[in-house]
Amino acid sequence: MKGSYIGKAPGSKLFRVSLEWEGQTVKSITIKGDFFAHPEQGFEEAEASLAGQALPGLGAMFKKELEDRSVELFGLSPLDLDVALAAILSGV
Amino acid sequence: MALEEFRFLESAYNDAFFNMGLDEAVLDSVAYGARPTLRLYAWEPKAVSIGYFQGLKDEVDEAACKAIGVDVVRRLTGGGAVYHADELTYSIIVPEKHPLAGKSILESYKNLSAGLIKGLEELGINAFFAPLNDICWQDKKISGNAQTRRKGCILQHGTLLLSVNAEEMFSLLKVPNEKLKDKVIESVKARVGSVSDILGRGISYKEAALAAETGFRAVLGSLGKKEEATGLELENAKKSAVNRFQNTEWTKRR
Repeated sequence: MKGSYIGKAPGSKLFRVSLEWEGQTVKSITIKGDFFAHPEQGFEEAEASLAGQALPGLGAMFKKELEDRSVELFGLSPLDLDVALAAILSGV
Repeated sequence: MALEEFRFLESAYNDAFFNMGLDEAVLDSVAYGARPTLRLYAWEPKAVSIGYFQGLKDEVDEAACKAIGVDVVRRLTGGGAVYHADELTYSIIVPEKHPLAGKSILESYKNLSAGLIKGLEELGINAFFAPLNDICWQDKKISGNAQTRRKGCILQHGTLLLSVNAEEMFSLLKVPNEKLKDKVIESVKARVGSVSDILGRGISYKEAALAAETGFRAVLGSLGKKEEATGLELENAKKSAVNRFQNTEWTKRR
């Protein structure tokens, strides 16, 4: 199934999530927006690593993947992902 | 300890692809040992740039841009979409170990944009740094800044709005909810300002660039005489313009 979300946490930048999933598993996910990530490539690797992961706790998983790559995020919290997923899944 | 003298390039008007290519080429130069570098420039033709993590189709009406000859380019830096029309742009490239890089990303934004704030002071505008990446006057944003860190160097570039045409801007940029576009335009008019608005008169690129040069000269410790980019930088900039910034694989990667 597919879904998308546009949101902005208070004090953060606009972000968009496009999700494709099957059952409780992420098939693909893209996180786009006005935020900054240093290094950018680390963010993209962390984002790519979410494919195949379970939907529950995905925000915490993303946070760990970013930390493992020493990625600093500005204007977005990895846990904002859970808000996006809840909205996408509740729209089903 | 005295800071190493900055190199000063003023490349004035070029197209979006070359402009972004030259920023990348200068970053490569500094990574290979060239002096920290300040560059002032502008955009001809006008262009929309989008941030590294933005979706092209989400942000830009490509057909509208094409219809009026506005280039579209994806930056190496994060942040939002920018319409580069009547503005002054600067880029500053320093090694990550440079004193102005500070101890945090936030501190580096503040240090590296300080010259522009000082330059605005030259024009009689009392602007201030607004974290993370803006320069404001009173309650209006007049400059947005963005950074990337590669090859041990920081590239920070930023725009200074000399005048702003919100209607034209939003004929090219998309908003999350098109039904609310009029409200978004009104909101942007309330939140975004330009040097012309503040001064109550027009200002040329040349006048703004001179003020920015004076401002950066005051805060960078030492800024050399204006010089040209090297032959290698120009060559690399052209390659980068063609191979990366004009390449749809790059522009449409998100």
